[in-house]
Amino acid sequence: MNKIFDIIIIGAGVVGCSIARELSRFKLDLMVIEKEEDVASGISKGNSGVIHAGYHKEPGSLKATLNVAGHRYFQEWGEQLDFPVKFNGKLVVAKVKEEVEGLRKLMERGRKNGVKGLELIDAQQIKNFEPRVEGIAAMYSPFSGITSPYLMTIALAENACRNGVKFEFEQEVNAISRVNNLFRIQTAGNQEYYSRWLINSAGLNSAKVSRLICHNKHRIFPCRGQYYLTDKIDDLISMLIYPLPSKDGVTLGIHITPTVDGNILIGPSAEYIDSLEDTACTREVMDKLKREAEQFLPEIREAPFIRNYAGIRPKLFYPGSGVNDSDYIIEEDSEIHYMINLIGIESPGLTAAPAIADMVVNMVGEKEDLVLNDQFCPERKAPLIFAQQSEADQARLIQDDPAYGEVICRCETVTRKEVIEAFDNILGVRSLDGLKRRCRIMAGRCQGGFCTTRIVEILRDEYGLSPEQIFKSNFQSPLFYGRVKDD
Amino acid sequence: MVKNCNIICILCPNCCDMRVSFEGKEILELEDARCPRGLEYAREELFNPTRTLTSTVPIKSHYWKTVSVRTNKPIPKDRIFDVYEQLSSMRLAAPVKRGDVLIENVLGLGASIIATRSVLE
Amino acid sequence: MIEKDIDIAVIGAGPAGMAAAISAREKGVKDIILLERNPFLGGILIQCIHDGFGLHLFDQNLTGPEYAEELIQHLIKAKVPFLTEAMVIDINAQKEIRVVSRQGLLKLKAKAIVLAMGCRERTRGALEIPGTRPAGIFTAGVAQSLVNLQNLKIGKEVVILGSGDVGLIMARRLKIEGLKVLRVIEKLPYCSGLVRNRVQCLRDYDIPLHLSSTVIDIHGKDRLEALTAAQLNEKGEILYDTAEVIPCDTLLLSVGLIPENELSRKAEVRLDWRTLGAEVDDYVETNTPGIFSCGNVLHIHDVADYASQEGFLAGERAACRVRENQGKVLRFPVNASKEIKYVVPQLIREDCRETELKFRVTEPFENIRIIVKNGGETLFRKKFLKIMPSEMNMVKISSDKPLDKVYVELEKTEIA
Repeated sequence: MNKIFDIIIIGAGVVGCSIARELSRFKLDLMVIEKEEDVASGISKGNSGVIHAGYHKEPGSLKATLNVAGHRYFQEWGEQLDFPVKFNGKLVVAKVKEEVEGLRKLMERGRKNGVKGLELIDAQQIKNFEPRVEGIAAMYSPFSGITSPYLMTIALAENACRNGVKFEFEQEVNAISRVNNLFRIQTAGNQEYYSRWLINSAGLNSAKVSRLICHNKHRIFPCRGQYYLTDKIDDLISMLIYPLPSKDGVTLGIHITPTVDGNILIGPSAEYIDSLEDTACTREVMDKLKREAEQFLPEIREAPFIRNYAGIRPKLFYPGSGVNDSDYIIEEDSEIHYMINLIGIESPGLTAAPAIADMVVNMVGEKEDLVLNDQFCPERKAPLIFAQQSEADQARLIQDDPAYGEVICRCETVTRKEVIEAFDNILGVRSLDGLKRRCRIMAGRCQGGFCTTRIVEILRDEYGLSPEQIFKSNFQSPLFYGRVKDD
Repeated sequence: MVKNCNIICILCPNCCDMRVSFEGKEILELEDARCPRGLEYAREELFNPTRTLTSTVPIKSHYWKTVSVRTNKPIPKDRIFDVYEQLSSMRLAAPVKRGDVLIENVLGLGASIIATRSVLE
Repeated sequence: MIEKDIDIAVIGAGPAGMAAAISAREKGVKDIILLERNPFLGGILIQCIHDGFGLHLFDQNLTGPEYAEELIQHLIKAKVPFLTEAMVIDINAQKEIRVVSRQGLLKLKAKAIVLAMGCRERTRGALEIPGTRPAGIFTAGVAQSLVNLQNLKIGKEVVILGSGDVGLIMARRLKIEGLKVLRVIEKLPYCSGLVRNRVQCLRDYDIPLHLSSTVIDIHGKDRLEALTAAQLNEKGEILYDTAEVIPCDTLLLSVGLIPENELSRKAEVRLDWRTLGAEVDDYVETNTPGIFSCGNVLHIHDVADYASQEGFLAGERAACRVRENQGKVLRFPVNASKEIKYVVPQLIREDCRETELKFRVTEPFENIRIIVKNGGETLFRKKFLKIMPSEMNMVKISSDKPLDKVYVELEKTEIA
């Protein structure tokens, strides 16, 4: 019989990986099963990467409490796990007088939620902070910030993996049953896994996964958010620029967000769609994003755009249903014990993730004695970024390893060594998208124009990969159909 | 039987889009040619069109995966794919030098396949 | 870390950079370095295995690799030092260069620099095409390198968006290698590549060219599955009722080349918004004294020979600059009428009496006259039956007086 895990976590998004990492502090056999070929491949990659201060949500709700609690972890986690965290502050900007009242309400809500430092500022103060931003008043939130949602998830997963958590990719769970007080989890890839606990953090598919065994009626309404990404731009904005949240409660509105890499994000839109997988961008919305961003930052019009993409929110309500917000579902199923469902973890899910992990650990701890794993190492080191080193360090690095002297990506100055380190990640992720997330290769303005050929060379020469073994993302996304003429 | 067709002359930037009537191997009428070279070009394109074929051949070498090749003179246009067939099964190993004849007098057309890049090791 | 003073550094060993290094060396400058990021010399020429190169420079019809080897032989004969796999990661207006290579970090302080970094391709992101983001979308130049140099089969059924020369060349190339090339789609009402390529790459192989059309949607989650194409009206607006789904697994983009001027910017080189390349004078010298620009990094060429010729000029002038540091010179702007997309050089030095202007038109024109004036004096006047944006035009001008009011204009004529 297969190995029996203490806990299996379904879904390697930021929530699943946070839980895995926090549980790896204890002596437990843990495994994460993921449908896609990499971590952060669903909701966790298609968001703004914002660390929310916590003034948006209804006081007392899980969303508000976990947001504020989660926020406190970022400084420490960023340092421990070596992922980018930057508290660059946020302006929620009012364009007309009537909106100022909305800012006041937001501040009041923030105060109730325990958010510190919120301040109402006038047009002149806006200009002092952000000379290019247009508005008549704003709420300034000094402790709002940004991270890289996928680098954060990768960091958590790598640290979890280092502490003994097993990861299985491209295994879509399609059946769950109870066998002798164990969960039997079967996947589309014909694998079978057994565990005592089952944690469902399957994001968009969390309702579907829970229904494989639970008798609940939870349902996810996918709500797409499209984004524009610009090339790196200096001196345009340094803070997050938000409008007032939409009245229907669906979203925080189309905002302008600097990324940790120096690009600027515009988005997201909010469109209810039929499919959990339809991350296509549409002309209409793309035009709208630009129009709305221009109202706050007219100069964004001239920005060089390098990419469009979309993510999907797991909403628990449908517009017109009379509901305008819903709280997270984080609970052990009332009938299926030892099964914890996390459903509808949308914004501020990224910020809340550390606190959600705490909550889940406590839920497990209530039912069994958790013994600290004395081998647990809280630290994880990100691969070194050549471009960020001093001249002297660059020289030394190349001397020690000439692979640092081979620049593969011109736009982002990524070296061969960094490509190899990214490809050698301990999770065993081998896709080009995975490579891109880990070392920024193909992510710059030429979007792979110079480096694609070089990467293919490296994968072939260093790893002996044949053309058919090179995938953009999962196994259904080959880049090549063999050779032009067989060798 | 008289036939008509359009031929774009590419001998100069004017690129005259010419209307040609011909019968057998004789041009009866040529319209829209802005200079006399158009007639010569039309005759060539109608009765003896030729092209240079270029392609690649896989090679075993230290760095390169392919060596580029071409016919050393233009070949009849309608034989391009026949000649391609001849070179498509070829496999090489370094060293190959630019100009090396890889297939001599391919298909008896009087042209040879030559390497267009040196792959020395 | 090695630090070194040098007379001339040439960045990029393509058709322009190699020519610049050769001519600088032939003008007697020995202390040169030619820096190339690839493991081989020749730049993009090596992947351009088709013929049509060298007709102007070598009076022969060569393929890209042959043309490159001709220049490389010159380079070796002239004993020009070069470094491959050497990426310039930083440069400044004081002409200090930081180079990364497997040999280490190299810091150069040059008396003159020739910028010859070439161009990059416009990507899907810049086009802002809606739809999904599957595998199977390549720019034409990347596809050319993967197919011609790596021997990789990039797809089975291919659609090409954009009728730039690289796209047309790849249409033929893929067809010869047995892929299905379904069509070439161009948003303009005319082909943006050279007529010669339209004839010999598309017509010869019965590949349809759909003008005034574009791709409006991309389908397929993992690998490309289909595209939606639609026609455009005269204003360039999408005619949605003409939308057509085209099943295919590969999309090549040949929608424009952009001079790669990130380094130039770091050297405080002023750029021309029309060419996206440096603003130069008749010596191809930029506003940063001692920094020259040539080839596709200056403006996009359609013929490599002309890029090399510009490189020869840059190398020659850089060599002069090493010998004498000229004092302040006045530079007069070259102006043009609105039908002229750009003119290079953008400036002419006060002591210049003879130079060559390169320009492109904004759209196709028939029966026109190109006139170049210098104030009241007409320097050039010629009728053109047809003039296309795809073709770079070159006009030699000379005068006894300073070329201080050069104006290029296009005049419509009545010719039967």
